[in-house]
Amino acid sequence: MKAKKLAAMLMTTVLACGMLAGCGSSGQESSEPAAEAPAEEAGEASAEAPAEGGGKITICTWNEQNPNDDLNMYLQCEKATGVDLEVTVIPESDYSSKLNQMVATGDDSIDVYIIWESDIANFAEAGGILPLDDYLEGSDIDTGDFIDAVAKLSDGLGATYGLPWCAATEILFYNQDMFDAAGLDYPTNDWAYADFLAAAEKLTQKDGDNTSVYGCALPNVQTWWAGIGGAGDQIYDPATGQLVIGAGAEEFVGDCADMVSKGIMPEPSSDTADLFASGKAAMAWAGSWNIGTYGDTLGFNWDIATLPTNKVKYNTLHTGFYTINANSKDPENAWKVVEYLMSKEGQTINSKASGNMSALKTIAEEGAWKVESATTIENWDAMTDSLAAGIFGYTCLPAGVTGNAVSNFNSAAMGQSTPEEAVKASSDYAAETIGY
Amino acid sequence: MANRKRTKTSSSIRRKDTRTAYAFISPWIIGFVCFTLFPIIFMFRVSLTNRKLNGVSEFSGMQNYVNMFKSGIFWNSIWVTLFFTIVMVIVTTIWAVIMALLLNQKQKLNGIFQFCYFLPSVIPSVALAYAFRTIFGKEAGLFNAFLSIFAGKNVAVNWLYDHATVYMVVFFITLFTYNTGQMMLIFRSGLSDVPMELYEACELDGAGAAKKFFSVTLPMISPLVLFNAVNGCVSALNGSFALLYPLTGESGNPDGMTQVLSLLIYKEAFSNMKVGYSCALSVVLFLIAALFGALLFGLSQKLVYYEN
Repeated sequence: MKAKKLAAMLMTTVLACGMLAGCGSSGQESSEPAAEAPAEEAGEASAEAPAEGGGKITICTWNEQNPNDDLNMYLQCEKATGVDLEVTVIPESDYSSKLNQMVATGDDSIDVYIIWESDIANFAEAGGILPLDDYLEGSDIDTGDFIDAVAKLSDGLGATYGLPWCAATEILFYNQDMFDAAGLDYPTNDWAYADFLAAAEKLTQKDGDNTSVYGCALPNVQTWWAGIGGAGDQIYDPATGQLVIGAGAEEFVGDCADMVSKGIMPEPSSDTADLFASGKAAMAWAGSWNIGTYGDTLGFNWDIATLPTNKVKYNTLHTGFYTINANSKDPENAWKVVEYLMSKEGQTINSKASGNMSALKTIAEEGAWKVESATTIENWDAMTDSLAAGIFGYTCLPAGVTGNAVSNFNSAAMGQSTPEEAVKASSDYAAETIGY
Repeated sequence: MANRKRTKTSSSIRRKDTRTAYAFISPWIIGFVCFTLFPIIFMFRVSLTNRKLNGVSEFSGMQNYVNMFKSGIFWNSIWVTLFFTIVMVIVTTIWAVIMALLLNQKQKLNGIFQFCYFLPSVIPSVALAYAFRTIFGKEAGLFNAFLSIFAGKNVAVNWLYDHATVYMVVFFITLFTYNTGQMMLIFRSGLSDVPMELYEACELDGAGAAKKFFSVTLPMISPLVLFNAVNGCVSALNGSFALLYPLTGESGNPDGMTQVLSLLIYKEAFSNMKVGYSCALSVVLFLIAALFGALLFGLSQKLVYYEN
């Protein structure tokens, strides 16, 4: 009997200890004085303190580090600042939700967050990130040099909470060999939407009833919005935070449905293959970051152009913002890291490694973002033209709202619903979701 | 005096035994309170707020429930959940019984057959779903490639995006999940316990295979059918997320046809950051699971045969 009792007591004690240990560690961390200090106080104190190396800072991102040491901006940051920089990679699919949960629980394990456009206002509202204005006063970073869209995005927040780590755009990729075979002129940066529709039809190759080469790939989750914005819809209203789509969306979705029905564009499907890269689509609307992915690996000649202009020239800008966790135990060194990454050296390394442009205009103009391995590209102006036309649109909306809309557009493209029904269903869902 | 002493001693022993019994079950009770009961109560509480994923929260009363009942997407999700759960339980249970019956036949290489069938069941649902998503692709799918070879022409069925085929494919894939494999093993162990005399008696009466199955086998394994049906329901309600999210996405393509409640809960909480609202949805899921459980146990009073 005694042995039984002893065993029971032991089991209970072990379980209780385990649970207490689990809860205790978090409590201990959050009771550190730095974590309890108000965000603004921490910001002021650190802005005045002299920059010193030797601390340890954790930064989180969704991208793996570049294997080439010279192009690894975090490694170069360590060398330049003397700060021991640990990089935490969170998968892109869960990135935003993980960071939101960290902010909700007052987590202090990450000092520097790279956050997305849709999160910056939420994080500022929750007091999860520090205002950077005090730091910027004593810094060489020229916020007046940011592309206009970045400056606009920070309006209304009451302070500068984040600095853009880069700027990516959406462009047209085209297969030069297929254009040559069809006897068509290459797309230019002043291509009209009607030129695009006509070329897509001519580039389509049929094998009986089936299409062997599509004129253009189906818009992806990003470029549906570029087409809708180009057709005249506002998409995102910064004043209300609402999705604003209507006649433009109906027109673009209708055009895509028409192309799908004629076999010019593929149906939406569960295929994960890149039809442009595999030579099964002559054109594709996609993110500029694909330039680095394609490099010299495609078995054909290809180039880029800006997205064709419909009613307006439109593409969505993509970025992330360097922000400092309000619960960081060492905001001073966190700022040193951010300052380096925003410096000319940091931005140049980032551009070379990712193929993305700097959001600082003077640095972007130097062209470090021209991916060396993409040897067939001649029209690099497409990148700068796209950057000039780019705005922050759908990326400022909740991902569930835009994902739901894309599902509706896909259904319409397959003829399962009309473009009008798809646009109405998307708008209704956005209205019941945004402003919750 | 001696009697009183004996009574006192026996009552003291009983108290000690009771304490020991409680001490033994306390690890489970602590775990249940911390990891099941507390989250359920917390979920009910949060469902009455407008809590966002970043932690910002205000009491909003029944507003989430009012919004939920007005939402067309919610009602679509409820019907999809009920349909998916009922069909999945029926399909997987029948399939598991058939496989168990086949495995119960005494023949060579039975072990290999059992191993081969059970192998996909031990693959994580997410990996399994991604593999099937590739197999059932339209342009580059393996299944369409096979069909094209047999048909002698290009077959390009859009299995997972076509209204006519999506359910067929999804229910086919559920046959390879861990839950179905586990059901098969449970049925197999139950079948081997059915007394042979009953079959012999049936044979003497001239009963055929179907008669033997419905009059002997099914009643004898009916407690297992109940157990597997309850497990299958819970699995369909909660575990369907791991299968459907990689297959058809959080919006339940096409047209929300596969958007079960667990997918909607995930989407509202982690894509739209509406934690309070998704907790209200979770309360509904909790009630549906409880309803299914009660219904099955209610039916079991009439349909399940217990020998003792």
